[in-house]
Amino acid sequence: MTVDAPTSMSADIGASHAEIGHREAGMPTPLVGMLLFIASEVMFFGGLFAAYFNARAAFPGEWGPPPPAHALEMLPIALPLTLVLVASSFTMQFGVWAIRRGDQRALRNWTAVTLLLGVMFLAGQLYDYSILGFGIGDGVFGTVFYTLTGFHGAHVFGGAVGLTILLARSVQGQFSARNHVAVEAVSMYWHFVDVVWIALFTTLYILG
Amino acid sequence: MGSSTAHSRWRTGHRVGSLLLLIAALAGCGMIPPEPETETARSVFTLYNIVLAMGAAVFVGVEGFILYAIFRYRRRDDRLPDQLHGNNLVEIIWTAIPTIIVLILFAASAITLGEVEARVDEPGQTIEVTGFQWQWEFRYLDDDEDDENDHTVVGSPASPPAMVVPVGEPIRLELTSTDVVHSFYVPNFLIKRDMFPAGTEGGGNQLEFTIDEPGTYSGQCAEFCGDLHARMTFTVEALPRTEFDEWLESAKAGETPAPSRDAAGTVLEISADEIAFDTRELSAPADQPFQIHFTNLEGVVHNVSIYDANDAEILIGEPITGPDAEITYDVPALPPGEYTFICDYHPVADMTGTLTVQ
Amino acid sequence: MATTTLAPRAGTWRQSWVIDWLTTVDHKKIGILYIVNSFLFFFAAGVLALVIRSELMVPGLQFVDEATYNQAFTMHGTIMIFLFVVPVLSGFANYVVPLQLGAPDMAFPRINALSFWLLPLGGILIFSGYLFGGAAAEGWTMYAPLSNARYAEGPGTDLWLIGLTLVGTASILGAVNIIATVFKMRAPGMTLFRMPIFVWTVLATATLILLATPVLTAGLIALFIDRNYGGAFFEPSAGGNPILWQHIFWFFGHPEVYIVILPAMGVVSEILPVFSRKPLFGYRAFVFATIGIMLLSFSVWAHHMFTTGQVFLLFFAFMTALIGVPTGVKMFNWMATLWRGSLEFTTPMLFALGFITMFLIGGISGVMLASPPVDFHLQDTYFVVAHLHYVFFGGSVFGVFAATYFWFPKMTGRRLNERLGKVHFWIHFIGFNLAFFPMHPLGISGMPRRVADYSPDAGFTLWNIVSTVGAFMIAISVLPFLVNLVATLINGERVGDDPWEANTLEWATTSPPPPYNFDRLPPIRSERPVFDLRHKHDAEHMAAERRAPEEGTA
Ligand code: HEA
Ligand code: HEA
Ligand code: CUA
Ligand SMILES: [Cu+2]
Repeated sequence: MTVDAPTSMSADIGASHAEIGHREAGMPTPLVGMLLFIASEVMFFGGLFAAYFNARAAFPGEWGPPPPAHALEMLPIALPLTLVLVASSFTMQFGVWAIRRGDQRALRNWTAVTLLLGVMFLAGQLYDYSILGFGIGDGVFGTVFYTLTGFHGAHVFGGAVGLTILLARSVQGQFSARNHVAVEAVSMYWHFVDVVWIALFTTLYILG
Repeated sequence: MGSSTAHSRWRTGHRVGSLLLLIAALAGCGMIPPEPETETARSVFTLYNIVLAMGAAVFVGVEGFILYAIFRYRRRDDRLPDQLHGNNLVEIIWTAIPTIIVLILFAASAITLGEVEARVDEPGQTIEVTGFQWQWEFRYLDDDEDDENDHTVVGSPASPPAMVVPVGEPIRLELTSTDVVHSFYVPNFLIKRDMFPAGTEGGGNQLEFTIDEPGTYSGQCAEFCGDLHARMTFTVEALPRTEFDEWLESAKAGETPAPSRDAAGTVLEISADEIAFDTRELSAPADQPFQIHFTNLEGVVHNVSIYDANDAEILIGEPITGPDAEITYDVPALPPGEYTFICDYHPVADMTGTLTVQ
Repeated sequence: MATTTLAPRAGTWRQSWVIDWLTTVDHKKIGILYIVNSFLFFFAAGVLALVIRSELMVPGLQFVDEATYNQAFTMHGTIMIFLFVVPVLSGFANYVVPLQLGAPDMAFPRINALSFWLLPLGGILIFSGYLFGGAAAEGWTMYAPLSNARYAEGPGTDLWLIGLTLVGTASILGAVNIIATVFKMRAPGMTLFRMPIFVWTVLATATLILLATPVLTAGLIALFIDRNYGGAFFEPSAGGNPILWQHIFWFFGHPEVYIVILPAMGVVSEILPVFSRKPLFGYRAFVFATIGIMLLSFSVWAHHMFTTGQVFLLFFAFMTALIGVPTGVKMFNWMATLWRGSLEFTTPMLFALGFITMFLIGGISGVMLASPPVDFHLQDTYFVVAHLHYVFFGGSVFGVFAATYFWFPKMTGRRLNERLGKVHFWIHFIGFNLAFFPMHPLGISGMPRRVADYSPDAGFTLWNIVSTVGAFMIAISVLPFLVNLVATLINGERVGDDPWEANTLEWATTSPPPPYNFDRLPPIRSERPVFDLRHKHDAEHMAAERRAPEEGTA
């Protein structure tokens, strides 16, 4: 991971100006930054998930949406949305592979598809909110449900903004096989958002 | 002249010196906790002294070495000292030493913790202690199931309550709160425990102790709980069993029955919610008795009391705790003038108003 | 960029100078902005401390009522921690780390600027509660349900939550930047085990920030939802759990205290070797101790919750006391660095020695608190207040002053006046002990913290008077410091590039350094490249000696 100076003991000169600050080996710096940022996001959602499990363990009554509303159901909305988001992870990755080969057209198309799927997910989630029959103020369940899914939604939205920029730049042909760090960074983020949703879906819908 | 300034300088030096010595001596004594008054307090006291002694030993050793190094190795010439980079053996040694200290402290703490947390089957007296913003309620549980029979003491910031208990037997406190987190603390017992709002999962804490000697010990809320946290004080009065029984008997007998609710005439309406009265202005006719119908909408204790311009008591209303508790107070005939009505438990602006009698 | 388009229109030098600082992405300028901004907040929070101490000097309410007092200590604690100590150390990290690594700048210069500018914004939001009917007043710990909308009305608490969210975001972005810089920007030859200890401690701190702060952010948002959208996270009457807040807060809060102490330890580990003319004793042990503290600090949070009756006391007690071991290793390595050295007592050295002597006291009181039965007596008394000031002030803030005196010549080319510096140190040191030592006996005899008043019969008065006198002495000691800063900037002694005969790379460039820092770097063969350069004739001998005890260093 680290590059050593020439080991000859007699060399009195260390790095020259041209050498300073150039470390091309290993992962590109922006991706390191993105990974670190994702690490902090993991802890953020970790905090929210911990709050969920704590609230659930400490809750005196029966856990679930407050009485008039019925229990959460996977169909007809949540499960299809999950498939949409998982699919979008694949389309994103196809885009990344495409640009690694230098295929700008394919990148553009896959990015557009991914963005579309992301928007579908958001729209579906908003629709789900509108028919669920309980709100954020309806007891602990309402609070944790909307906080967790809401923050996830906000992250999907953030990812969609990133995808839009990516799409615009790829339409202008700004990416190439050698120069596409932004594509890799956005895809990392998008996969992360997808993983969070899978964890959420498992927690809320499968474990119940 | 020279000698007199030298003399006075010596005198000042002497004074400063003895002041410093005094401060150091005071600081030394100050590091010892108050006289422990319960059995558990005595074991905490012992543990504390062990911990303090270990700390003092580390302190003296480390600071002593640093001072020594400062005087011994001050720079005298331009030579470069030996460039020592480290030594694995000493690293191991000085990792081991604190580890051993930590293990000893841990063992001592664990033993004492067992003593402090021990619970008996049959405490001599069980008291339900409820904290509220900003005072205490002590309810003496007796053997029967009927809550109405239990004797209850409620304090107000102006007159903090006394918790009367028998000496020589285990007292058990069941700690809860009606609003925010409070903490029951008596310095002489060397212990405190937090009090969580009712309904907090796992928040029903208990505390148990046996007081050695009759006496009065002061206590105070130790968890910050809002504006008047500082005034959440109380005392513990420890009495021999017989005197305690007499006290409880007479306290129960002396409990005033609820005031009659049938007198006619003017009835003023007032209610309390969210630590505020719904009105800050009341008016009543002069020179004839009237009533105040008070509704407490929240699960926090409130009352309505009336004071005249000189702060003399006109009415000290019986406290009630909601939600939706009601009471009617009978107020005697008053001469015309301005009076203050207030909740004794929450003497804040939102619970203070003016009663105009004309 | 914006600078270039605006520059031609900016008529006077003054305007362009201001715009230059406002739009800079140079890590050195941003570092200085951080430091200056933090000191301004320090003075504000210090003035609040003087309000606190004035009120407490004698029993009775003299100057402020309870509500004002509660705002004062809440703001004091919040500002001191989040807008003074954390950012001021980030400022030094910003300035020094790229230089010490031989890098031209941070990895992400623009994000660096963004994370700075979020700070004053957040700070102003937190303070602006005073303009809207009162600042937050629930203590810096914001315990629920006291902080729920029912009990804490008004926008002050919401502003506190929003402001802290911004400040937290700022430090997360800063941490990403630091870690990326350390891993991607090191000069050729700068292996991980040749990095200066300061960089190691900053790296550990950044990792703590990266992993702990987001959890606080989640908590802050949850509380905000409770307060404003009818949420029930922490509201027991709706089935929520107030103890959850304490877990979230302290899961962050305990790493936080190491966030503010580790870089200060790094500063001390840079200064002691320079003024002892010896290498840091046990460099590797020191690195491992730093990592050990970092890891342990995630497993001790519930020592703040011993009296809740809701935590596994023995586990947390053990882990907490265990943290004393790596810290002790550091202490002993510092002592061994002094041993048989050639000590010169410059102002930075005095503050560094002040750090190790005072932090020790705070560390010992910490270990005392780590014993649950002892803590049952001392929790939420002035003993804890004494502990926290000995570690924060006696530790971190002494470190901050040491760093200021030490790196000032690097930042400006001028050295702060040593005589004024020593006056500052001694008044500060004595005032500090007068102000905070008495809090131990106060706490031990049972004086609770966060009270505006106490009973005249309780026997607390004498110690409170001493403490207040000490607090004002600290305030006075700030004056020679400020005079020194101004006088030196105007007319200070110019001292060249390396006035202290120091060890690390920042001293290999000019003072102040040029844009992008270095024209040329010395060879890096140990953690003291500049020392090696100065003692060239010994260098080979030294390198051979180094390899012997520390086999395997690349
Ligand atoms: C910079 C900040 C900082 C640092 C470094 C520390 C360091 C430590 N702290 Fe402190 N602490 C705070 C800031 C800090 N703390 C604050 C702000 C609070 C109050 C928060 C609030 O409620 O508002 C607090 C509160 C606090 C509590 C809770 C008190 C209470 O509310 O009841 C406890 C309890 O265990 C504790 C313990 C410790 C321990 C064991 C260490 C250890 O890391 C100390 C280790 C150091 C040494 C031990 C000295 C050197 C070692 C040797 C010379 C080796 C040999 C010695 C021995 C083995 C004994 N701290
Ligand atoms: C880094 C952290 C830090 C620092 C440096 C300080 C510094 C000081 N603290 Fe701090 N304090 C805390 C962190 C800190 N504190 C925390 C976290 C709490 C807990 C809060 C809570 O309970 O929620 C606390 C609580 C606390 C209390 C307890 C309040 C209570 O529980 O009721 C007290 C009481 O004396 C106190 C006093 C002081 C004093 C006198 C200083 C002094 O040393 C301050 C010295 C500085 C100055 C005096 C400023 C000098 C400036 C001037 C004189 C003005 C010049 C102005 C211009 C040029 C514009 N502090
Ligand atoms: Cu009740 Cu503090
Ligand atoms: Cu801690």
